[in-house]
Amino acid sequence: MEMGALVVTAGGDVTSTAAGSSLWAPAWPVLGETVLERWIKMVQGLGVGLVSVVDRAEHQANRVHTMIEWAREGVERILLIVLGSYAEIDLGDLVRFHYEGQHQVTRVFDQEGPLGISLLDRGCVLGDRERAINEPHAASSRYDFLGYVIRLSSNVSYRRLVEDALQGRCAIRPTGIQTREHVWIDQTAFVHPSVQIEAPCYIGPRARIKAGVEIRGCSSIERDCEIDLGTTLDHASILPNTYVAPGLYVRESVVNGTKLENLARGVELDLGTAGLLARIGNSQPTDPVRPVHASPDPKLPPSALNGQRS
Amino acid sequence: MPPSRVAVMRMPDFSDPSAHRSFLREVKEFMDSSRQARLVVDLSTAGQIGPESVDLLLECVDQAERSDGEVSVAGASPETEVILELTQATSVLNMFPSVLEAANGSQPQAA
Repeated sequence: MEMGALVVTAGGDVTSTAAGSSLWAPAWPVLGETVLERWIKMVQGLGVGLVSVVDRAEHQANRVHTMIEWAREGVERILLIVLGSYAEIDLGDLVRFHYEGQHQVTRVFDQEGPLGISLLDRGCVLGDRERAINEPHAASSRYDFLGYVIRLSSNVSYRRLVEDALQGRCAIRPTGIQTREHVWIDQTAFVHPSVQIEAPCYIGPRARIKAGVEIRGCSSIERDCEIDLGTTLDHASILPNTYVAPGLYVRESVVNGTKLENLARGVELDLGTAGLLARIGNSQPTDPVRPVHASPDPKLPPSALNGQRS
Repeated sequence: MPPSRVAVMRMPDFSDPSAHRSFLREVKEFMDSSRQARLVVDLSTAGQIGPESVDLLLECVDQAERSDGEVSVAGASPETEVILELTQATSVLNMFPSVLEAANGSQPQAA
């Protein structure tokens, strides 16, 4: 096999109620799909047949072990993605740059610094393992990326990504049907006829939007949410399995179950006991630790993967 | 009826129902005692308020409207500000950073 991809996530579960869990996690969907799922699609789009996702909490030796095993099994190049950003990198161009420059390690940078994405040669992984894995910058080349990138380090950046996607500033396209210009509503969602929607906005699968609700300011409502009577969402993102009580005005906030972070004031509140928010339904969070077996995309030229010059 | 007056009050202890009743009685008496009375509720020591506090503030607004008065809150924590905005109480309350500014009738802060 020519290439494998190892995606390292910070884990996280959309249903978690642990302290600090309201901070952005890879399991949070962005308009229907998580950033992790979008990265995997990008990798699969490159035709990579071997993709594995591991949790960052896992001991580093296990990650190294995975890469060494792959290298021993004949995987020529390993794409290592430490998930901390959404970046619209042309992975095919990265592979070409790596191959044509005969680099052992290529690391991707944007204007702010490294993006946590590296392409490693088999020889490098099998040779000086410790150096290659722990210090990939030691003998590496630099691939400068100038396209769309956003570091997902906080709920502020999560909201920015949602707004950029809804306004077409990045390549993310919401799942579901575009019912009118810049309004995406999943077919399984219920939206009362009296609901006022100001584009752009996104309403995910099985969401229930009750009478008198107003949605504006690039707001997003992910799967299995319920927005009760007369509530207004303004520049807000509602994460899966969240109930929002009637008559509220939710502005510049990310809401996850009982937790609300108001981004304008930098305040995080748990409003479960107050009865204003609740976790509802059976959530089906994306398991961030899972092997993925993908088939190469037949549309892509094999030269992009096997190192032959086209 | 005497001209406009200003009173500053703190939220009662919600674990004591009599304090709650007493607070509302004082508010009513104050509103009845003056034309266009201005009640300032000092939240500077309240920390994060709950729905029962919002309900009480709205009862104060109700009393004030009957007497052509008004209710302001002062010194709310950022957490309380978020709850007041979330429950849309800011649409009927004037918000001030401090009791002094509320009492002086400064321009209310934006909700």
